[in-house]
Amino acid sequence: MPDIVLQARGLAKAFASPAGRLPVLTDVSLEVFAGESVSIRGSSGSGKTTLLQQLGGLDQPDAGEVRILAPGAGLVAPRSSLGRGVGFVFQNYQLMPELTALENVALAARVAGASASSATEAARALLVQVGLGARLEHLPAKLSGGECQRVAIARALVNRPSLILADEPTGNLDERTGAEIMDLLLGVVADRGAALILVTHSREFAERAARRFVLSGGVLSPA
Amino acid sequence: MPWFLHLALRQLFPPGKRFPAFATVSILGVALGVASLLVVQTVMNGFGEEHRLRIRESFGDCLVTGPAPIEKPEALAKELAARPEVASASLFAEGPALARNGDFSGIAQVRGIDPTDPGQPARKYVYGGRFDDLDDGRIILGVGLARALRVRIGDRVEVWSPAMAERAEKGKAPLPAEFEVCAVIQTGFTEVDNAAALIPLRRFREIWNLGPRAHGLTLRLKEPALAAATAGRLAVGHPELRFRPWQDIKKDFLEAIRFEKTMLFFLMFIITLVASFSIGSTLFSAVIRRSREVGVLASLGAARWQVVALFGLQGLLIGALGTLLGFLLTWTILSFRDGILGAINSLFGGGDMVANVYQFSKVPLHYDASDFFIAAAFTLLTTAIAGLVPALWAAGRKPSEAMRDA
Repeated sequence: MPDIVLQARGLAKAFASPAGRLPVLTDVSLEVFAGESVSIRGSSGSGKTTLLQQLGGLDQPDAGEVRILAPGAGLVAPRSSLGRGVGFVFQNYQLMPELTALENVALAARVAGASASSATEAARALLVQVGLGARLEHLPAKLSGGECQRVAIARALVNRPSLILADEPTGNLDERTGAEIMDLLLGVVADRGAALILVTHSREFAERAARRFVLSGGVLSPA
Repeated sequence: MPWFLHLALRQLFPPGKRFPAFATVSILGVALGVASLLVVQTVMNGFGEEHRLRIRESFGDCLVTGPAPIEKPEALAKELAARPEVASASLFAEGPALARNGDFSGIAQVRGIDPTDPGQPARKYVYGGRFDDLDDGRIILGVGLARALRVRIGDRVEVWSPAMAERAEKGKAPLPAEFEVCAVIQTGFTEVDNAAALIPLRRFREIWNLGPRAHGLTLRLKEPALAAATAGRLAVGHPELRFRPWQDIKKDFLEAIRFEKTMLFFLMFIITLVASFSIGSTLFSAVIRRSREVGVLASLGAARWQVVALFGLQGLLIGALGTLLGFLLTWTILSFRDGILGAINSLFGGGDMVANVYQFSKVPLHYDASDFFIAAAFTLLTTAIAGLVPALWAAGRKPSEAMRDA
């Protein structure tokens, strides 16, 4: 049986609102195994991004706990596995505008502690793999949306994480480019043996994951 | 190079922009503040040095006087000149007298000096006439006294000494000593210029019935800066005499210059402080604008201290580059200081204050390494704090909140 790369139990999150506490997540539990792809679909405002942030350690749940497989450390709190155990792909790419494509990817490796030369080499190899070998020195402003998302995917993978969390990775792209990015994401993640949690409101893309969930009313249930 | 330093440099100087607005304006602001501070300090140092030099030249490095005229001044001068710390010793005698030119008169502080001494400081302050023309029948006057007496070079003045009053008391007809004005001096010290009258020591002794005695000695020291300690050593064995180092002679004046410099430092430092505050405010805007990037860095696993370093270093880099540019600007302004002053004078129609009031041939300056060190330290400190405040704010944010903003 494959290793568990993510274990979430009883997650709950509520936000303050003028009408009082507004529950967004209610008793969410999830297990994801190595190499597996999981999609979470939901309408806008259903709490998909909030769930992803709890799973990735960008925010703390009000209740429950999350454990993520970190290389050489076993299951640990997501905050301590950021950058190494987990890689993020965001809807708006979130690249550093002053850094080239190569530097953006290498930055993730540098932050994780790699030397400048090994970070650059790993970044170069990944960018070639995602089809941007000719765009290494381009700034994000000189890249198309699809190219920016390829850079973001390479950045998420550069530290060989066990889990990729993708938040609406095709949300800003046209249909054809979105489909290309999905192909790339699923292919590259599978190549590297990582697990993928894909948050999307697109039924079509959600259907391509091995396991599918729907988030509605704060409750996560199988699709 | 650590990644946060690389990113800080890229954010300050994005590729493809020769003069990025934030960095350029911030660095220029700091540079102008530093330059204002250092230009004022360096010129103030120059004025201070000039005044110190004039004090030493007017009164000697060390003034030796006694409660009564010194009985064997030549022997004392010989003894003191033989000391290793002393470069030269010259006798003087001085006293007040009434100077008169027809209907105009004034109180003169007459000083008897050795006119053959090539080191006589008055030589440097000759405003008109020739110092070397001074002999038993001639006198050199301070410019203020000459004006009060309405005399020019070649005119004659009468000098009435207190000794003449004694002569009158004894029933003898007092006759004034007559001199021809051979030179006028201007030192910049009003009290000297308005009263100084220099005559040969030999003639002074005659007029004042001083005999072989003198009122004191002026010493030139090999290390004028150490005058206080040297005066203390020289005084040993001469309890009846007072050895006053030059720093003590015009203590209040020197203290006023020092105080003025300190006050100007604080006033000018406010300019640097304002520049630092503007950096802090602009950096705050930049940090808010980069909220999502802060969140992304957190998602990549960046530690809080690294986020603090990323933005804090930007403040520090602006401070360091602004300080260096400020040094360069200071040197440039001071190199062209006389041209700049001339342009200001011609623009606003003012006279040449430096020449007319201070009697300096050019704006004086004196570079002091400690001023540059203090300016750099203060600037780096304030800009680092200016960068640190928004940096701490950014690092303290939750990544999820940071990514939602902006």
